[in-house]
Amino acid sequence: MGKYLIRRFIQLLVVSFIISVLVFMLVHLLPGDPTTQILGANDTAANRAILLKQLGLNLPLWHQYTIWLNAAFHGNLGTSYLNHESVTHILATGAPVSIELILISQLIAFAIAIPLALVVSRKPNRWLDNISTTSTFGLLALPPFVVAPILVAVFAVGLGWFPATGYTPFTQAPLTNLHEMILPSVAITAGSIAVYFRLLRSDLISTLQQDFITMARSKGLSTTRIMWRHAFRPSSFSLLAAAGINIGSLIAGTFVVELLFAMPGIGYALVQAVEQRDYLVVQGISLVVAIAFVVIQFIIDFIFTIVDPRVVRE
Amino acid sequence: MTEKHEISRRTFIAKGAAAGGAVVLAGAAGSALAGCSSSSGSSSTTAAASSSKPGIGVGTPVRGGALNIGLVAEIDGFYPPTNHWDTNGYLYAQCLYDPLMAIAADGSIQPYLAASCTPNATYDTFTMTLRPNVKFHDGSPLTSQVVVNNYTALKASLLTGQALTQVVSVTASDAMTVVFKLEAPNPGFTAGLATQVGYMVGQAMIDQANAKVALPTPVGTGPFVYQNWQPNNHFTCTRNPNYWRQGLPYLDQITLRPIPDTIQREATLKTGGVDMIGSTDPNTIHRFQGQSGYQVIDSATDIIGEPSMAFIMLNTVVEPTNDLSVRQALAMAIDQATVQKIFGGGFTKPVNGLFLPGSPYYTSDTGYPSYDPAAAKKLVAAYTSKHGSAPSLELLTITDPRLAQVVQIIQQMWQQVGIDVTVGQVEQADLINDFIAGKFQAATSYQFGAVDPDLNYVWWSTTTTGPIGSIALNFPRNSDPVIEQAMLTGRHTTDQATRVQAYQTVNKQLGKDLPYLWLEQYIFSEVATSKVQNFANPTLPNGMAGWGFDEGIFSPTAIWLSK
Amino acid sequence: MPDDRELLDTHSSRRLLTNALPGTAATDEAILATEETTAADDVLSKKPFGFLFWFAVCFVGVILLSAVLANVLPLQNPNFQNYSALSQGPSGAHLLGTDDLGRDLLSRLVFGSRVSLIVGFCGVAIGLIFGGTAGLVSGYRGGRLDGALNAFSFIILAFPAIVAVIAIVTFWGASLFHITIILGIATIPLMYRVIRASSLSFAQRDFVVAAKTMGATDTRIVLREILPNVIPVTVTFSLITVAGLIVIEGTLAFLGLSVALPTPSWGNLINEGTANNALSTDPFIMLWPALAMFLLLWSINLIGDRLRQRFDIREGLL
Repeated sequence: MGKYLIRRFIQLLVVSFIISVLVFMLVHLLPGDPTTQILGANDTAANRAILLKQLGLNLPLWHQYTIWLNAAFHGNLGTSYLNHESVTHILATGAPVSIELILISQLIAFAIAIPLALVVSRKPNRWLDNISTTSTFGLLALPPFVVAPILVAVFAVGLGWFPATGYTPFTQAPLTNLHEMILPSVAITAGSIAVYFRLLRSDLISTLQQDFITMARSKGLSTTRIMWRHAFRPSSFSLLAAAGINIGSLIAGTFVVELLFAMPGIGYALVQAVEQRDYLVVQGISLVVAIAFVVIQFIIDFIFTIVDPRVVRE
Repeated sequence: MTEKHEISRRTFIAKGAAAGGAVVLAGAAGSALAGCSSSSGSSSTTAAASSSKPGIGVGTPVRGGALNIGLVAEIDGFYPPTNHWDTNGYLYAQCLYDPLMAIAADGSIQPYLAASCTPNATYDTFTMTLRPNVKFHDGSPLTSQVVVNNYTALKASLLTGQALTQVVSVTASDAMTVVFKLEAPNPGFTAGLATQVGYMVGQAMIDQANAKVALPTPVGTGPFVYQNWQPNNHFTCTRNPNYWRQGLPYLDQITLRPIPDTIQREATLKTGGVDMIGSTDPNTIHRFQGQSGYQVIDSATDIIGEPSMAFIMLNTVVEPTNDLSVRQALAMAIDQATVQKIFGGGFTKPVNGLFLPGSPYYTSDTGYPSYDPAAAKKLVAAYTSKHGSAPSLELLTITDPRLAQVVQIIQQMWQQVGIDVTVGQVEQADLINDFIAGKFQAATSYQFGAVDPDLNYVWWSTTTTGPIGSIALNFPRNSDPVIEQAMLTGRHTTDQATRVQAYQTVNKQLGKDLPYLWLEQYIFSEVATSKVQNFANPTLPNGMAGWGFDEGIFSPTAIWLSK
Repeated sequence: MPDDRELLDTHSSRRLLTNALPGTAATDEAILATEETTAADDVLSKKPFGFLFWFAVCFVGVILLSAVLANVLPLQNPNFQNYSALSQGPSGAHLLGTDDLGRDLLSRLVFGSRVSLIVGFCGVAIGLIFGGTAGLVSGYRGGRLDGALNAFSFIILAFPAIVAVIAIVTFWGASLFHITIILGIATIPLMYRVIRASSLSFAQRDFVVAAKTMGATDTRIVLREILPNVIPVTVTFSLITVAGLIVIEGTLAFLGLSVALPTPSWGNLINEGTANNALSTDPFIMLWPALAMFLLLWSINLIGDRLRQRFDIREGLL
């Protein structure tokens, strides 16, 4: 167990390092630099040169990278060139927003997809299955930037049940926070519901055809018990894998909803930073996102081993 | 004495680098340039028994209440030497700080935080006296030394230093008097003190900034005191109980919330999440005008000087737009009325140059070509037979859904006269880079909002152009000595008639050289619920009316919320 | 000897026992099992496909054909803006209406299907070819190959996709080809992970162990034991990913990073239909491509299900 953890930790370090190098290179390959955004109409060759020197951007790339890496090791991820907010602060205030969005949306997705899949997989192609399948394909055709304005028009402006935009931290006012989180979470959950439902249903149907199910039935076990203990467990593999990837892709993928609902999450911060060539912000957020992703995968792989003891931990 | 102001407060694209000095028009003829209204775009309110005109409060001011304002974009910081203030930035500044000078409704510059500002006979030294007994939010007094220290920081900064190169020294001659010495006579100098470089901050903030604190706590003399700022979320400030303007402000608290998406911002207004919103989409005006419960004001009805214009910029030194006949064809192929109808909701009127009817610089005959697709086709055909292939170019714009529409409209109009056009979308930061380096053929832009045309000197001068690849603020690289001469004439003359002539010449030359293809006036609007009173009717300390709506900028000082 | 449970496992048993040497007990069992399944198959094969199935086939056919033959069909110019016909609903002149620039929505839909179908299906194909194969093998083999590929997929997946897409499109330029490649590469690790997980779960099963002991080569096992079991999940996930890619192309259009205007695609039509308040003024712009995408996915799914029913999977035994 200890060896396993150490190996995964080394993996975490290696992956994080490689990602930090890749992100660094990628974002510096982009044409332009933050000086235009900063200087605006005062952009002259002289000013640009001075500013680049002040920001340390005239150093050779590898040197800039090592400076950054060294600082990162000491917990200093730098500050934004534009509003001088520290990257750590951006993460500290933005991560809870994005994480909460993802958590709530995934909870909603699981709450809908899992029970539905369990029910329909027993009797595929009956009316409930057909309706569910049809609906999930409908959900897939509606990306967040479509769902969000519709939700706002109906539930915020029309019915007045929810606010149209805004974010209050959970620690400050939990009920207001949840109230504000509902519409944006629903906006991003559609795709997840579809993915989880479809995958789980498909996997369950296959599993239910295995004869050990018949055997369990013939032993007199109840349907519920069979579904949960014998069918769901092995079928949850692909669901877990998909969840891991889905969450991973969502971590920085919530920016559309963050933009539309004026929520200061890290997705929005990241996209803004790329567009404005705010290198340190991009690097800092990307690094943390990558680490978070690897950790989530680790947790999922760990759950794999619990769910299915046949999977040997390497 | 009244003086014409020149430098305007605008987004960084339009901000004239005031390095070139300014223009003055002595005497009372200032009214000729003041408060020009265009007849389009009436704003109305239908809230019963409140304002007869939106933004003007009626009745007795009510004390108290919290106002929530939805902004188009976020500010990048509160420290004038290191941050850019666009329209949104100035709203924050108006809450926290006071400028030394301010723009009056008649277009003149009046003292605000300063008590007076007097030039010497040769206009190269300005002596400013400060108001007595003014305190910053932390209790420290406003003294001439603090002002001097502000200017030390401003001059040292890469951002604002350029605007102050004309200032040789700023010294405190006594506790409440500041002396500005200029390198050359500049009668219009005080106008700059109504912009970003005129907002004074407290010593504590300067000290923090010098100590390299990343986000110095804002300390100003303004009507509201900083409480907290969560970037991209909200900013809150509360009433300054010791504000030096007696009886003001009326509000207890102001919260500013940046909401980038226009439709969402409007939805937030409708749901009551905010009480007023700004917009740069004219369709917002359509959607709220005449709706009961809302008041709408826009920048089309209260123009001082030159309004911001939306246009297509052509590069005059790269192919095929370096060929004047191509530029003429491009101009004649655009049907402004259709573009305005679809893009701007039919809210604006066709434009033929920099100025709109009502401005003293306006002429109906600027030489700008009118819509004539047949003539355009002929020019294109001539070009094609001369060069062997049709002119082909890429039209760039930013990743904004409205502009995406307008470039597609323009693309079709150009294609219909035989030009080969592709469309590209790039991020705003990249597009500006392209402009600066001259790496474009045609692109959309908006600029030139300025209270005085001289402020736009840097964009049109022969001294600010440069080869492709180098940094040049004359983006189209249109090097026209006639324009240069006219701009300088306008800058240095004190005779109104000569001035008008000079800028009309500039306008006509632009209509001849065609580096810009006009689309429409770029409109800013503000929509407020009917309970928001007096948001476009500021009064200056000396009793004069202030400029109510400066292309998106308004003053929060005298706003109150009716019950 | 494989134990009862695995012998009765319909899929693998058939394959397992066809590997069996003649004359062994295994072969006898196989014959029995095959007879059993053949009987069942006969019953199933008599069941007609049904109206919905044929509707789905027709719909998919129409979409594919119209995408291929778009230039030849009597469609209006998808990019021609008719300023006197802005935001109209369906009518005789414009069967599906016009958008906010007066362009015919039917032809934009048909021409747009090209972009979306290519992005969706080719992108997934890239993912399957590279990621799927790798996942299949890697899940079965395990060991160092699995570890290395896993780590590699980690790196691609952990990389914030949006940064990569913005950077690559800004740098390389936005064209159908570039976007398909970029999105295809983005799906490689997804396919890898999901198929690997599925492959892994089957690789641990005893019938695989049994096959190995019986001397089957790795290739044979992967192709005959694992692959057929992995296909259902793969197909499901691929279809979802097709939808995902078409939608992501719409999000790219939202950011201005997709194919150059005015080229239509279902993704950027949906985007155009939600921008500039179009949802209120002209909901048809968004409606048709969303509906088309929905029907296409549903149809493909239905066809796949019915075909599987017919030739392969029996209904659940519960």
